[in-house]
Amino acid sequence: MKDLTHSADAATVEEALAASNHQGIVDSEGATALAMQNTLLTPRFYTTDFDELDAIDVSSVREDWDTLIAQMKSDPNKGHFKKNEDWDHIDWENMEPRLKAEFIDFLVSSCTAEFSGCVLYKEMKRRGNNEDIVTLFQLMARDEARHAGFINDALREAGIAVNLGFLTQKKKYTYFRPKFIYYATYLSEKIGYARYITIYRHLEKNPEHRFHPIFKWFKEWCNDEFSHGEAFALLMKTDPKLTQSFTNKLWIKFFLTAVYSTMYVRDHQRPAFHAALGVDPDWYAHEVFTKTSEISKQVFPLTLDIDNPRWERGLKKLQRANADLAEAKASGNVFKRLGAMARAATAFVGLYTIPAVKHDVPVSTRLEPAY
Amino acid sequence: MGLLTRDFETAPCLVEVSHCFDSLHAHVKFLNGAVINPGDEVQVQGPPVMAPYGEVVREERIARISRASKIEQLWTRMTGDFEFMELCEFSFSEEVSV
Repeated sequence: MKDLTHSADAATVEEALAASNHQGIVDSEGATALAMQNTLLTPRFYTTDFDELDAIDVSSVREDWDTLIAQMKSDPNKGHFKKNEDWDHIDWENMEPRLKAEFIDFLVSSCTAEFSGCVLYKEMKRRGNNEDIVTLFQLMARDEARHAGFINDALREAGIAVNLGFLTQKKKYTYFRPKFIYYATYLSEKIGYARYITIYRHLEKNPEHRFHPIFKWFKEWCNDEFSHGEAFALLMKTDPKLTQSFTNKLWIKFFLTAVYSTMYVRDHQRPAFHAALGVDPDWYAHEVFTKTSEISKQVFPLTLDIDNPRWERGLKKLQRANADLAEAKASGNVFKRLGAMARAATAFVGLYTIPAVKHDVPVSTRLEPAY
Repeated sequence: MGLLTRDFETAPCLVEVSHCFDSLHAHVKFLNGAVINPGDEVQVQGPPVMAPYGEVVREERIARISRASKIEQLWTRMTGDFEFMELCEFSFSEEVSV
Protein backbone atom coordinates (compact mmCIF):
# COMPACT_ATOMS: atom_id res chain seq x y z
CA MET A 1 0.00 0.00 0.00
CA LYS A 2 1.28 3.45 -0.87
CA ASP A 3 2.14 5.86 1.89
CA LEU A 4 -0.28 8.73 1.40
CA THR A 5 -0.65 12.02 3.14
CA HIS A 6 -4.18 12.59 1.97
CA SER A 7 -7.14 10.31 1.28
CA ALA A 8 -8.01 12.35 -1.82
CA ASP A 9 -5.00 10.86 -3.57
CA ALA A 10 -5.88 7.30 -2.69
CA ALA A 11 -6.49 4.67 -5.30
CA THR A 12 -8.44 2.30 -3.08
CA VAL A 13 -10.68 2.58 -0.05
CA GLU A 14 -8.04 0.88 2.08
CA GLU A 15 -5.44 3.42 1.01
CA ALA A 16 -7.80 6.28 1.68
CA LEU A 17 -8.45 5.06 5.20
CA ALA A 18 -4.74 4.58 5.76
CA ALA A 19 -3.84 8.08 4.61
CA SER A 20 -2.56 10.43 7.28
CA ASN A 21 -5.69 12.57 7.35
CA HIS A 22 -7.55 9.46 8.52
CA GLN A 23 -5.16 8.54 11.27
CA GLY A 24 -6.60 7.60 14.59
CA ILE A 25 -9.78 6.13 13.22
CA VAL A 26 -10.45 2.73 14.59
CA ASP A 27 -14.12 2.11 13.96
CA SER A 28 -16.29 2.63 10.92
CA GLU A 29 -18.48 5.14 12.74
CA GLY A 30 -15.44 7.33 13.37
CA ALA A 31 -14.34 6.94 9.78
CA THR A 32 -17.70 8.18 8.54
CA ALA A 33 -17.68 11.14 10.89
CA LEU A 34 -14.26 12.19 9.69
CA ALA A 35 -15.16 11.57 6.06
CA MET A 36 -18.10 13.90 6.49
CA GLN A 37 -15.89 16.54 8.02
CA ASN A 38 -13.73 16.42 4.96
CA THR A 39 -16.65 16.24 2.65
CA LEU A 40 -17.95 19.76 3.04
CA LEU A 41 -20.43 18.71 0.39
CA THR A 42 -23.90 18.37 1.80
CA PRO A 43 -26.27 18.79 -1.10
CA ARG A 44 -30.00 18.71 -0.63
CA PHE A 45 -32.21 16.09 -2.21
CA TYR A 46 -35.42 17.00 -3.88
CA THR A 47 -38.70 15.65 -5.08
CA THR A 48 -41.32 17.51 -7.01
CA ASP A 49 -44.61 16.92 -8.74
CA PHE A 50 -43.30 14.78 -11.58
CA ASP A 51 -46.73 14.43 -13.25
CA GLU A 52 -46.90 18.18 -13.58
CA LEU A 53 -43.44 18.25 -15.13
CA ASP A 54 -44.41 15.53 -17.57
CA ALA A 55 -47.44 17.54 -18.62
CA ILE A 56 -45.30 20.37 -20.01
CA ASP A 57 -45.82 20.82 -23.72
CA VAL A 58 -43.06 22.78 -25.44
CA SER A 59 -44.79 22.86 -28.85
CA SER A 60 -45.57 26.57 -28.52
CA VAL A 61 -41.83 27.30 -28.35
CA ARG A 62 -40.72 24.30 -30.38
CA GLU A 63 -38.38 26.08 -32.77
CA ASP A 64 -36.44 27.90 -30.06
CA TRP A 65 -36.47 24.79 -27.90
CA ASP A 66 -35.01 22.52 -30.58
CA THR A 67 -32.30 25.04 -31.41
CA LEU A 68 -31.30 25.36 -27.77
CA ILE A 69 -31.27 21.61 -27.15
CA ALA A 70 -29.25 21.01 -30.33
CA GLN A 71 -26.75 23.61 -29.16
CA MET A 72 -26.47 21.98 -25.74
CA LYS A 73 -26.14 18.53 -27.29
CA SER A 74 -23.29 19.72 -29.52
CA ASP A 75 -21.54 20.46 -26.22
CA PRO A 76 -19.48 23.50 -27.25
CA ASN A 77 -17.71 23.52 -23.88
CA LYS A 78 -16.59 19.91 -23.97
CA GLY A 79 -12.86 19.99 -23.45
CA HIS A 80 -12.96 23.53 -22.15
CA PHE A 81 -12.76 22.55 -18.52
CA LYS A 82 -9.25 21.23 -18.69
CA LYS A 83 -6.21 22.66 -17.05
CA ASN A 84 -3.76 23.93 -19.64
CA GLU A 85 -0.72 26.20 -19.58
CA ASP A 86 -3.00 29.05 -18.45
CA TRP A 87 -3.45 27.30 -15.13
CA ASP A 88 -0.81 29.14 -13.11
CA HIS A 89 0.75 27.72 -10.02
CA ILE A 90 -0.79 29.00 -6.81
CA ASP A 91 1.14 29.34 -3.62
CA TRP A 92 -1.63 28.24 -1.27
CA GLU A 93 0.76 27.94 1.65
CA ASN A 94 1.59 31.62 1.64
CA MET A 95 -1.82 32.98 0.74
CA GLU A 96 -3.03 35.47 3.30
CA PRO A 97 -5.07 33.32 5.76
CA ARG A 98 -8.24 35.41 5.70
CA LEU A 99 -8.25 35.47 1.90
CA LYS A 100 -7.53 31.77 1.76
CA ALA A 101 -10.44 31.01 4.10
CA GLU A 102 -12.87 33.16 2.14
CA PHE A 103 -11.69 31.90 -1.21
CA ILE A 104 -12.01 28.28 -0.13
CA ASP A 105 -15.47 29.07 1.21
CA PHE A 106 -16.30 30.57 -2.18
CA LEU A 107 -15.09 27.44 -3.98
CA VAL A 108 -16.89 25.10 -1.62
CA SER A 109 -20.22 26.91 -1.87
CA SER A 110 -19.85 27.05 -5.65
CA CYS A 111 -19.10 23.34 -5.74
CA THR A 112 -22.03 22.54 -3.46
CA ALA A 113 -24.41 24.60 -5.60
CA GLU A 114 -23.25 22.91 -8.80
CA PHE A 115 -23.55 19.58 -7.06
CA SER A 116 -27.04 20.31 -5.73
CA GLY A 117 -28.12 21.38 -9.21
CA CYS A 118 -26.74 18.15 -10.58
CA VAL A 119 -28.65 16.08 -8.01
CA LEU A 120 -31.89 17.94 -8.72
CA TYR A 121 -31.60 17.72 -12.50
CA LYS A 122 -30.63 14.06 -12.40
CA GLU A 123 -33.63 13.25 -10.21
CA MET A 124 -35.93 15.01 -12.65
CA LYS A 125 -34.32 13.26 -15.57
CA ARG A 126 -34.72 9.90 -13.89
CA ARG A 127 -38.32 10.27 -12.83
CA GLY A 128 -39.70 12.16 -15.80
CA ASN A 129 -41.33 10.56 -18.83
CA ASN A 130 -41.59 13.59 -21.10
CA GLU A 131 -38.85 13.20 -23.70
CA ASP A 132 -38.18 16.95 -24.08
CA ILE A 133 -37.89 17.51 -20.37
CA VAL A 134 -35.80 14.41 -19.72
CA THR A 135 -33.32 15.41 -22.44
CA LEU A 136 -32.96 18.91 -21.06
CA PHE A 137 -32.35 17.76 -17.50
CA GLN A 138 -29.83 15.16 -18.60
CA LEU A 139 -27.82 17.83 -20.44
CA MET A 140 -27.94 20.22 -17.53
CA ALA A 141 -26.89 17.51 -15.05
CA ARG A 142 -23.88 16.85 -17.30
CA ASP A 143 -22.79 20.50 -17.20
CA GLU A 144 -23.26 20.89 -13.46
CA ALA A 145 -21.27 17.71 -12.72
CA ARG A 146 -18.52 18.98 -14.99
CA HIS A 147 -18.37 22.33 -13.23
CA ALA A 148 -18.35 20.60 -9.84
CA GLY A 149 -15.45 18.42 -11.02
CA PHE A 150 -13.50 21.46 -12.12
CA ILE A 151 -13.95 23.28 -8.81
CA ASN A 152 -13.14 20.08 -6.98
CA ASP A 153 -9.82 20.02 -8.72
CA ALA A 154 -9.03 23.56 -7.63
CA LEU A 155 -9.92 22.54 -4.08
CA ARG A 156 -7.65 19.53 -4.22
CA GLU A 157 -4.75 21.79 -5.05
CA ALA A 158 -5.56 23.69 -1.90
CA GLY A 159 -5.43 20.44 0.04
CA ILE A 160 -9.18 20.18 0.53
CA ALA A 161 -10.60 16.72 -0.04
CA VAL A 162 -14.12 16.59 -1.30
CA ASN A 163 -15.50 13.28 -0.28
CA LEU A 164 -18.79 12.02 -1.64
CA GLY A 165 -19.50 9.61 1.17
CA PHE A 166 -22.65 11.43 2.20
CA LEU A 167 -24.90 8.88 0.54
CA THR A 168 -24.45 6.54 3.47
CA GLN A 169 -25.65 9.29 5.80
CA LYS A 170 -29.36 9.65 6.33
CA LYS A 171 -30.68 12.21 3.90
CA LYS A 172 -34.08 13.72 3.78
CA TYR A 173 -35.88 14.55 0.57
CA THR A 174 -37.37 17.98 0.47
CA TYR A 175 -40.03 19.26 -1.89
CA PHE A 176 -40.10 21.90 -4.59
CA ARG A 177 -43.22 22.86 -6.47
CA PRO A 178 -42.42 22.73 -10.22
CA LYS A 179 -43.10 26.43 -10.69
CA PHE A 180 -40.73 27.27 -7.86
CA ILE A 181 -38.10 25.14 -9.54
CA TYR A 182 -38.53 27.29 -12.64
CA TYR A 183 -38.33 30.61 -10.82
CA ALA A 184 -35.48 29.61 -8.52
CA THR A 185 -33.34 27.77 -11.02
CA TYR A 186 -33.96 30.33 -13.76
CA LEU A 187 -32.79 33.07 -11.44
CA SER A 188 -29.88 31.13 -9.98
CA GLU A 189 -28.60 30.31 -13.48
CA LYS A 190 -29.00 33.86 -14.77
CA ILE A 191 -27.58 35.56 -11.71
CA GLY A 192 -24.75 33.00 -11.81
CA TYR A 193 -24.04 34.12 -15.36
CA ALA A 194 -24.10 37.79 -14.36
CA ARG A 195 -21.80 37.17 -11.40
CA TYR A 196 -19.20 35.18 -13.31
CA ILE A 197 -19.15 37.44 -16.35
CA THR A 198 -18.84 40.58 -14.22
CA ILE A 199 -15.79 39.17 -12.46
CA TYR A 200 -14.37 37.90 -15.74
CA ARG A 201 -14.70 41.29 -17.48
CA HIS A 202 -13.33 43.10 -14.45
CA LEU A 203 -10.26 40.85 -14.39
CA GLU A 204 -9.78 41.23 -18.11
CA LYS A 205 -9.25 44.93 -17.46
CA ASN A 206 -7.36 44.41 -14.19
CA PRO A 207 -5.35 41.20 -14.60
CA GLU A 208 -3.14 42.07 -11.63
CA HIS A 209 -6.08 41.16 -9.37
CA ARG A 210 -6.47 37.67 -10.80
CA PHE A 211 -5.10 35.78 -7.82
CA HIS A 212 -6.21 32.37 -9.04
CA PRO A 213 -6.35 30.89 -12.55
CA ILE A 214 -9.90 29.54 -12.14
CA PHE A 215 -11.25 33.00 -13.01
CA LYS A 216 -9.89 32.59 -16.55
CA TRP A 217 -12.46 29.83 -17.08
CA PHE A 218 -15.43 31.90 -15.97
CA LYS A 219 -16.53 33.01 -19.44
CA GLU A 220 -17.30 29.59 -20.91
CA TRP A 221 -18.53 28.43 -17.56
CA CYS A 222 -21.09 31.16 -17.33
CA ASN A 223 -22.20 30.54 -20.90
CA ASP A 224 -23.41 27.15 -19.69
CA GLU A 225 -25.32 28.89 -16.91
CA PHE A 226 -26.78 31.23 -19.48
CA SER A 227 -28.12 28.39 -21.67
CA HIS A 228 -29.65 26.64 -18.68
CA GLY A 229 -31.45 29.86 -17.84
CA GLU A 230 -32.66 30.06 -21.44
CA ALA A 231 -34.21 26.61 -21.14
CA PHE A 232 -36.14 27.63 -18.02
CA ALA A 233 -37.26 30.84 -19.70
CA LEU A 234 -38.74 28.76 -22.52
CA LEU A 235 -40.37 26.38 -20.06
CA MET A 236 -42.06 29.31 -18.32
CA LYS A 237 -43.16 30.64 -21.68
CA THR A 238 -45.16 27.44 -22.36
CA ASP A 239 -47.67 28.40 -19.68
CA PRO A 240 -48.45 32.15 -19.57
CA LYS A 241 -50.11 31.81 -16.15
CA LEU A 242 -46.71 31.11 -14.63
CA THR A 243 -45.57 34.66 -15.21
CA GLN A 244 -48.78 36.61 -15.70
CA SER A 245 -51.20 35.66 -12.92
CA PHE A 246 -51.47 38.03 -9.96
CA THR A 247 -50.26 35.47 -7.40
CA ASN A 248 -47.39 34.30 -9.53
CA LYS A 249 -46.20 37.86 -10.05
CA LEU A 250 -46.00 38.16 -6.28
CA TRP A 251 -43.98 34.95 -6.17
CA ILE A 252 -41.64 36.21 -8.88
CA LYS A 253 -41.08 39.37 -6.91
CA PHE A 254 -40.43 37.30 -3.82
CA PHE A 255 -37.83 35.15 -5.59
CA LEU A 256 -36.12 38.20 -7.08
CA THR A 257 -35.96 39.91 -3.69
CA ALA A 258 -34.77 36.78 -1.88
CA VAL A 259 -32.08 35.92 -4.41
CA TYR A 260 -30.75 39.47 -4.75
CA SER A 261 -30.69 40.21 -1.05
CA THR A 262 -29.09 36.87 -0.17
CA MET A 263 -26.37 37.55 -2.68
CA TYR A 264 -25.78 41.00 -1.20
CA VAL A 265 -25.52 39.73 2.37
CA ARG A 266 -23.38 36.79 1.40
CA ASP A 267 -20.90 38.79 -0.65
CA HIS A 268 -20.45 41.28 2.16
CA GLN A 269 -19.30 38.39 4.31
CA ARG A 270 -16.25 37.98 2.09
CA PRO A 271 -14.41 41.31 2.37
CA ALA A 272 -10.90 39.88 1.85
CA PHE A 273 -11.98 37.95 -1.24
CA HIS A 274 -13.47 41.04 -2.86
CA ALA A 275 -10.55 43.24 -1.83
CA ALA A 276 -8.14 40.78 -3.48
CA LEU A 277 -10.20 40.91 -6.66
CA GLY A 278 -10.18 44.70 -6.45
CA VAL A 279 -13.98 44.69 -6.42
CA ASP A 280 -16.20 46.88 -4.25
CA PRO A 281 -19.04 44.56 -3.14
CA ASP A 282 -21.60 47.40 -3.44
CA TRP A 283 -20.55 48.17 -6.99
CA TYR A 284 -20.47 44.46 -7.79
CA ALA A 285 -23.97 43.86 -6.40
CA HIS A 286 -25.42 46.75 -8.38
CA GLU A 287 -23.69 45.59 -11.55
CA VAL A 288 -24.95 42.01 -11.15
CA PHE A 289 -28.51 43.13 -10.30
CA THR A 290 -28.57 45.43 -13.34
CA LYS A 291 -27.47 42.66 -15.69
CA THR A 292 -29.78 40.06 -14.16
CA SER A 293 -32.76 42.43 -14.29
CA GLU A 294 -32.07 43.27 -17.92
CA ILE A 295 -31.88 39.58 -18.84
CA SER A 296 -34.89 38.56 -16.78
CA LYS A 297 -37.10 40.95 -18.73
CA GLN A 298 -37.13 38.20 -21.34
CA VAL A 299 -39.70 36.34 -19.28
CA PHE A 300 -40.59 38.15 -16.03
CA PRO A 301 -43.11 40.99 -16.37
CA LEU A 302 -41.47 42.92 -13.53
CA THR A 303 -38.04 43.87 -12.27
CA LEU A 304 -37.00 45.20 -8.88
CA ASP A 305 -36.46 48.94 -8.57
CA ILE A 306 -32.81 48.68 -7.61
CA ASP A 307 -32.27 52.42 -8.06
CA ASN A 308 -34.88 53.28 -5.46
CA PRO A 309 -33.06 54.74 -2.39
CA ARG A 310 -35.04 52.32 -0.20
CA TRP A 311 -33.33 49.40 -1.95
CA GLU A 312 -29.76 50.22 -0.92
CA ARG A 313 -30.88 51.24 2.58
CA GLY A 314 -32.86 48.03 3.02
CA LEU A 315 -29.95 45.86 1.90
CA LYS A 316 -27.65 47.54 4.38
CA LYS A 317 -30.16 47.00 7.20
CA LEU A 318 -30.51 43.36 6.24
CA GLN A 319 -26.76 42.96 6.11
CA ARG A 320 -26.29 44.47 9.59
CA ALA A 321 -29.13 42.39 11.06
CA ASN A 322 -27.55 39.31 9.57
CA ALA A 323 -24.11 40.08 10.98
CA ASP A 324 -25.69 40.62 14.42
CA LEU A 325 -27.59 37.38 14.06
CA ALA A 326 -24.37 35.47 13.36
CA GLU A 327 -22.77 37.11 16.38
CA ALA A 328 -25.76 36.33 18.61
CA LYS A 329 -25.74 32.71 17.45
CA ALA A 330 -22.07 32.42 18.28
CA SER A 331 -22.48 33.96 21.73
CA GLY A 332 -25.73 32.14 22.47
CA ASN A 333 -27.57 35.35 23.33
CA VAL A 334 -31.22 34.45 22.70
CA PHE A 335 -32.65 37.97 23.03
CA LYS A 336 -30.12 39.45 20.70
CA ARG A 337 -30.81 36.63 18.31
CA LEU A 338 -34.58 37.22 18.30
CA GLY A 339 -34.02 40.94 17.89
CA ALA A 340 -31.71 40.42 14.94
CA MET A 341 -34.18 38.02 13.33
CA ALA A 342 -36.99 40.52 13.70
CA ARG A 343 -34.83 43.25 12.16
CA ALA A 344 -33.88 40.98 9.27
CA ALA A 345 -37.53 40.14 8.65
CA THR A 346 -38.53 43.81 8.76
CA ALA A 347 -35.72 44.72 6.37
CA PHE A 348 -36.82 41.99 3.98
CA VAL A 349 -40.44 43.13 4.06
CA GLY A 350 -39.18 46.67 3.44
CA LEU A 351 -37.34 45.48 0.34
CA TYR A 352 -40.25 43.39 -0.86
CA THR A 353 -42.71 46.26 -0.64
CA ILE A 354 -40.70 48.64 -2.86
CA PRO A 355 -42.96 49.02 -5.92
CA ALA A 356 -41.65 46.89 -8.80
CA VAL A 357 -40.97 48.18 -12.30
CA LYS A 358 -43.49 46.69 -14.70
CA HIS A 359 -42.86 46.11 -18.36
CA ASP A 360 -44.03 44.10 -21.33
CA VAL A 361 -42.43 40.77 -22.05
CA PRO A 362 -41.17 40.35 -25.64
CA VAL A 363 -42.84 37.80 -27.90
CA SER A 364 -39.58 36.08 -28.67
CA THR A 365 -37.82 34.86 -25.54
CA ARG A 366 -34.39 33.73 -26.69
CA LEU A 367 -31.29 35.75 -25.79
CA GLU A 368 -27.58 35.25 -26.36
CA PRO A 369 -24.90 36.09 -23.77
CA ALA A 370 -24.05 39.72 -24.48
CA TYR A 371 -22.03 41.01 -21.54
CA MET B 1 -48.25 5.43 5.93
CA GLY B 2 -49.38 6.56 9.34
CA LEU B 3 -50.68 9.99 10.17
CA LEU B 4 -47.96 10.51 12.76
CA THR B 5 -45.72 7.47 12.51
CA ARG B 6 -42.91 6.64 10.16
CA ASP B 7 -42.75 3.37 8.25
CA PHE B 8 -39.55 1.72 7.15
CA GLU B 9 -38.62 -0.39 4.16
CA THR B 10 -35.50 -1.48 2.36
CA ALA B 11 -34.78 -1.35 -1.35
CA PRO B 12 -31.90 -2.61 -3.46
CA CYS B 13 -30.14 0.26 -5.16
CA LEU B 14 -27.30 1.12 -7.46
CA VAL B 15 -24.95 3.76 -6.13
CA GLU B 16 -22.76 5.62 -8.59
CA VAL B 17 -20.09 7.94 -7.29
CA SER B 18 -17.87 9.73 -9.78
CA HIS B 19 -14.84 11.54 -8.48
CA CYS B 20 -13.42 12.60 -11.82
CA PHE B 21 -12.19 15.80 -13.31
CA ASP B 22 -14.93 15.55 -15.95
CA SER B 23 -17.71 14.82 -13.57
CA LEU B 24 -18.21 15.04 -9.84
CA HIS B 25 -21.48 13.39 -8.97
CA ALA B 26 -23.12 10.85 -6.68
CA HIS B 27 -26.45 9.23 -7.41
CA VAL B 28 -28.65 6.51 -6.01
CA LYS B 29 -31.01 4.56 -8.24
CA PHE B 30 -33.58 2.22 -6.73
CA LEU B 31 -33.68 -1.11 -8.50
CA ASN B 32 -37.13 -2.16 -7.36
CA GLY B 33 -38.94 0.94 -8.58
CA ALA B 34 -39.30 2.44 -5.09
CA VAL B 35 -40.54 6.02 -5.26
CA ILE B 36 -39.40 8.71 -2.84
CA ASN B 37 -41.94 11.19 -1.55
CA PRO B 38 -41.48 14.53 0.23
CA GLY B 39 -40.08 14.13 3.73
CA ASP B 40 -38.87 10.56 3.23
CA GLU B 41 -35.37 9.75 4.39
CA VAL B 42 -32.97 7.50 2.56
CA GLN B 43 -29.84 5.95 3.90
CA VAL B 44 -27.60 3.69 1.88
CA GLN B 45 -26.43 0.86 4.10
CA GLY B 46 -22.82 -0.11 4.63
CA PRO B 47 -19.57 1.80 4.76
CA PRO B 48 -19.23 5.10 2.85
CA VAL B 49 -18.88 4.62 -0.88
CA MET B 50 -15.44 6.08 -1.44
CA ALA B 51 -14.42 6.84 -4.99
CA PRO B 52 -10.73 7.65 -5.22
CA TYR B 53 -9.85 10.60 -7.37
CA GLY B 54 -10.15 9.89 -11.08
CA GLU B 55 -12.50 6.97 -10.68
CA VAL B 56 -16.16 6.09 -10.91
CA VAL B 57 -17.44 3.56 -8.40
CA ARG B 58 -20.66 1.66 -8.99
CA GLU B 59 -21.95 -0.60 -6.26
CA GLU B 60 -25.17 -2.42 -5.56
CA ARG B 61 -26.27 -1.70 -2.03
CA ILE B 62 -29.35 -1.84 0.12
CA ALA B 63 -31.02 1.44 1.03
CA ARG B 64 -33.21 1.93 4.05
CA ILE B 65 -36.14 4.18 3.30
CA SER B 66 -37.88 5.84 6.19
CA ARG B 67 -41.29 6.97 5.02
CA ALA B 68 -42.47 10.31 6.33
CA SER B 69 -45.73 10.38 8.25
CA LYS B 70 -48.69 12.00 6.52
CA ILE B 71 -48.25 15.12 8.63
CA GLU B 72 -44.55 15.37 7.90
CA GLN B 73 -45.14 14.89 4.20
CA LEU B 74 -47.65 17.74 4.19
CA TRP B 75 -45.27 19.92 6.16
CA THR B 76 -42.40 19.22 3.75
CA ARG B 77 -44.66 20.02 0.80
CA MET B 78 -45.56 23.34 2.37
CA THR B 79 -42.11 24.41 3.48
CA GLY B 80 -39.59 22.63 1.25
CA ASP B 81 -39.76 25.36 -1.36
CA PHE B 82 -37.95 27.76 0.91
CA GLU B 83 -34.76 25.78 0.70
CA PHE B 84 -34.29 26.87 -2.88
CA MET B 85 -31.40 29.18 -2.05
CA GLU B 86 -29.18 26.12 -1.90
CA LEU B 87 -29.06 26.19 -5.68
CA CYS B 88 -27.39 29.56 -5.78
CA GLU B 89 -23.64 29.63 -5.86
CA PHE B 90 -23.66 32.27 -3.10
CA SER B 91 -25.91 30.22 -0.83
CA PHE B 92 -25.18 30.32 2.85
CA SER B 93 -22.68 28.13 4.56
CA GLU B 94 -22.16 28.13 8.28
CA GLU B 95 -18.46 28.82 8.39
CA VAL B 96 -18.03 32.47 7.58
CA SER B 97 -19.34 35.46 9.43
CA VAL B 98 -18.25 39.07 9.61
